[in-house]
Order: sequence, then C-alpha cells, then structure tokens
Amino acid sequence: MRRAMLFKSNKWWLIPAFLLAVALPFFVGAYRLQIFIFVITYSLLALAFQLTMRVGLPRFDVAAWWGVGAYTSGMLMLKANMSFWLTLPISVLVSVVLGFAVFSVSVRRGMMVFMMFGMVFALALQQVFGSVKFFGGWGGTPQLPPVTIGSYVLNDKMWIYYLGMALLIFNLGVYQLLYKSRIGRAWSAIGSGLRLASSLGVNVVGYRLANVLVGNAFLALAGSFSVVYQAMIIPTTYGFQQSIYVMMYVVIGGLGFAMAGPIVGALVLTLISESMRAAQQYQPIVTGVITVLIIMFAPWGLLGVLRSRVVSVLQRLLSSRAALPDIPSSLGSPASVTAEEPGKDA
Amino acid sequence: MALLETRGLSKSFGRLEAVKDLDLTVEQGELRGLIGPNGAGKSTVFNLITGFDVPTRGTVWFRGENITNVPAHKIAQKGISRAFQQSYLFMFSTVLENVLVGCHMSSRAGALREFLHTRSARMRDREARNKAMEILDFMGMAHLADEPASSLSHGYQRCLGVAMALACEPTLLLLDEPVTGMNPTESAEMVERIRRIREKGITVILVEHSMEVVMNVCERITVLSYGQKLAEGLPAEIQCNPLVVEAYLGKEEA
Repeated sequence: MRRAMLFKSNKWWLIPAFLLAVALPFFVGAYRLQIFIFVITYSLLALAFQLTMRVGLPRFDVAAWWGVGAYTSGMLMLKANMSFWLTLPISVLVSVVLGFAVFSVSVRRGMMVFMMFGMVFALALQQVFGSVKFFGGWGGTPQLPPVTIGSYVLNDKMWIYYLGMALLIFNLGVYQLLYKSRIGRAWSAIGSGLRLASSLGVNVVGYRLANVLVGNAFLALAGSFSVVYQAMIIPTTYGFQQSIYVMMYVVIGGLGFAMAGPIVGALVLTLISESMRAAQQYQPIVTGVITVLIIMFAPWGLLGVLRSRVVSVLQRLLSSRAALPDIPSSLGSPASVTAEEPGKDA
Repeated sequence: MALLETRGLSKSFGRLEAVKDLDLTVEQGELRGLIGPNGAGKSTVFNLITGFDVPTRGTVWFRGENITNVPAHKIAQKGISRAFQQSYLFMFSTVLENVLVGCHMSSRAGALREFLHTRSARMRDREARNKAMEILDFMGMAHLADEPASSLSHGYQRCLGVAMALACEPTLLLLDEPVTGMNPTESAEMVERIRRIREKGITVILVEHSMEVVMNVCERITVLSYGQKLAEGLPAEIQCNPLVVEAYLGKEEA
C-alpha cells in the first residue's frame, strides 16, 4: 500500500535526483563536471522548447535566442565593463523586447509561419553575429573578462555548476507556478485543441505570445550563463544545428513530461555524444538514428518507457498479493498510463 | 432589438457558395432550430457567427453590436458559446479540467495575481471548481468528474461538450447536432436538458440533422438549403411546407 502511494505521488523521485545532483561535483573531476554544466545549459534550452510545444508551436530558433543572451552579456562586459550579474536582467530584457517585435508578427499567423519565421530568423541572426565587426566575427569575440563575485573570480567548475543548478531550479520553479495557474491551463487547452480553446474564450494569440516570451527570457538566462564558462563567444555555438539537437533532447526524454523530459533527454544525449568523442564525425548519425527509433517505437520517449515498465512491474507485484484488489485498478493498465501521460503534462 | 441578427451573410469557399445572403434573426429567449439537408451550410453559419470563419459578405450583429470581424475568443467572451458537432474535447485532461477551461476564461482575473497564487486567486479557483461541478451535475455526469475525457462513452462526450460551452456563461448557445450518435434514452435526456437550459434564460440555436428532434423541441425553425434560407416558421408550418419536403426527399420524378 505504501509503495503504491509513494508511486502515485509522481514527485517522489525529485528528492534523490536533487541529492544526486548536489553531490555530483564531489564524485567527478573538473573535465567531467564541465560536461554536466553543458547538460544544465542544454536542459534550459530544451525546457524552453518543451514549454512552447505545450501551445502547439515547435520552435527552431532556440539557439539563436540563446545567442542573444550570450552576446548581450558578453558585449556589455567587454564594451561597457559591466558586471556579469548586472548583464543578466538586461539580457532577459533584450531577449523579451526583441522577441516581442519578432513574435508579434509571426505568432498570429499560425504554427507553420511561426516555425519557418523562426528558422529564417535564426539563420539571419547567426550571420549577424558572425559578420558584423562589432560582435567580433566568425572567429569569436575577444577574450571575455572573468566573472567575479566581489573579489572572488568565478572559475571553479564546482561553483559554476552550482550556479547553473540554481538557474535550472529557478526555471523549473517558475514553470511549475505557471503550469499550475490559469495561464498553464490556457496553454494546455491551446495545445490540445486550438479551435476548442478559442471557442471557450481563450485568447490563443495572446497566450501563445506570452508563452514564447517566457521561453525567451529563460533562453537569455541560459545564454548569459554560457558566458561564465567560456573564454569567448563563438557564433557557430549558437547555430541552427544546436536547435535541432534541442528538439532531439525533448523527443528522447519524452514529449509528455514537461519538466523531467527535457532534462533527461539533454543528459542522455550529451553523455552519448561525449562517449563518442573518438568518432565524432559519426555522432550526428548515431544521435539521429536514436531519435528516429524513439519516435517510431517509444513515442513518449525514454521516460514514457520507464513509466510504463515501472507500472507493469508494480502491477505484477501487487496482483500476486491478492489482498490488495483496489490498487491495480487505480493505477490503470500500462497502456492506458502511457496514453494518458502526455495530457497530464503536455 | 434582436439578440442575434445576420444581414446578407455569405461565405464562399472558392466557387462553392456555402452560405448565401442569409438574413437570420433570433430573439432573446428563443429556442431556434436550424435544419437542412447535408451540406446546406448549417455548420458554416455557426462558424461565421462564432468568428471561426470570416464572411465573404454581410454582417453579424449580437445585442446590437457588429461582431463580424471580431476574433473567436472575444465573441466567446461576449456571450456566444458553441458545442461542436464532433466530440471535440481536451482528450488527455479530466472531465472537470475540461469544464474549468470555460469557467476560468469567464471569470476574468489578473494574470499576475493568478500566477502568484494570491488568496483571492485561490478563492476564485475554488469558485470555478464549484461552478464546474454544478454544471457537471446538471448534465448528469458529476460522478465522472475525475475521469479522463477520452474514457467517456460517446453520449457522455457529447454531454461534456455542452457542459464546457455552458461554463462560459453564454447568453446564446449554439448546439451542433448534440444528439447525433446517441441512443434513444440518451437522446431523450439531452432534449430534456436543452429545454431546461432554455428555461434558465439562455437562448439556444440548435442545428439538427434529424427532423424529429427539432420538431419536438424547437418553437421556431429555419430551414437552409444550398446555403439559402428556404423557409422559416412554426414546426407545424415547416412540416407541411412543400419546399421543405422537396428539399429533404428530392423532387418527385415526373
């Protein structure tokens, strides 16, 4: 009975996951830790993609807005000698204001226009970062000044990792609040029935715009964060290919899992890429094949597989003890759980 | 002043004229039937009234206000709700959550307050839940509140569609073939509920393919054929109108 209760509250895994994440720097070296810093950054990107998928809009401009955050912070630090911490709110502001200008044109024209507009914008923006002299060209910006807290220079990987964790937890907290509120309900409604939502009085364009801009704010934060662990900003880092990877993170993790899906996807795919460092030219092929296989055989991603497996094992355990007849029915069959899951979070 | 009025309403899809010069006037408190053979343009009329389609020509007036080019969500907020012909629901959400979407949109609250979970926002949330449960109770499906919408039987799915439309607190309710695919018992219950909705003071326009239901429940009927108004009047008048009989049964072979 207790096990079933524990399982039914689907937040139980948060505690061990959090403890593991906090303890991580004590077990891995600086090089490995850098990989996990990348995982945090990619999780932030994937969360923004997932957020906007919730309102039925796939965005392939994620990396471009990530770049906006990085360049805003980097340029302010280089050209205006501004403190990194002061550039954080400014980069959010730039990303949201610029995003508003771009998206108020594209969002009202529907999913296809939004998607294509985003891709074109992303390509153009990368060109701007690469070609305009002010931004330092394709070779990257000059060496960035170090990020400091008072007189302490933030170059210890462990503290960079914890800064990233704090950012990620802040992001998840804001998303959680949003999802629980009426805004989140409207977003879900738009995602699962556009016409139905508007027939019930939901302002589809307005809520979609708000959603994309919230994503933009967090992408800018992720961009600023990437400045902390890079010696300089190179435009190709924020290229279109990275946006494709972000989509893969979300699909592999599980489209139905609003919070955990993007993080698990980013973690798994980054670790796979990292383990293939020796054969890097084949890495996009392998990750591509994995993504396609997941789409074909596990449309709800790795977490979807995990969830349905755990439920079926649990069911078998419980049904062998005939004394607890009420629990299996409340859990439902594995098939129905996987089928319902996307709606709960998506 | 009529509650709803369309003047010269027309809609073409390419060369097909789905609705042609329709003048329709519905008074406050009416229960109007809108019938016609397949493809007569009934659903298109609903789409034009609710802002899902933009008319090629003509205007729509609601409470004396021109709502012709008003976006769909604003029309819903002004008090026109619709239940769709297909079972169009948020399939992955529970029954209660489905109804709450309508409730929440009709109770206008500051988005920021909502986000910050202030006390008044929480109270509003509770009110919305109570209201949603009341509506579900009225539709006879309160016991299904926590079930996923996808698990409902066809009949209950249609009921949920109506419940969601009611949650928006409409002045005018548009029902698109609410009893299609229902068994006779369910159908009779739905007809009874439509009567009671109207007794609550909500004006109803009912599109129905089957003549029997419309004749049974509506006191005025408009007949469409090829997008044009063919006849309008009391059920008895419509029943023996030769034009209507012809439109439904086809011209008798000479």
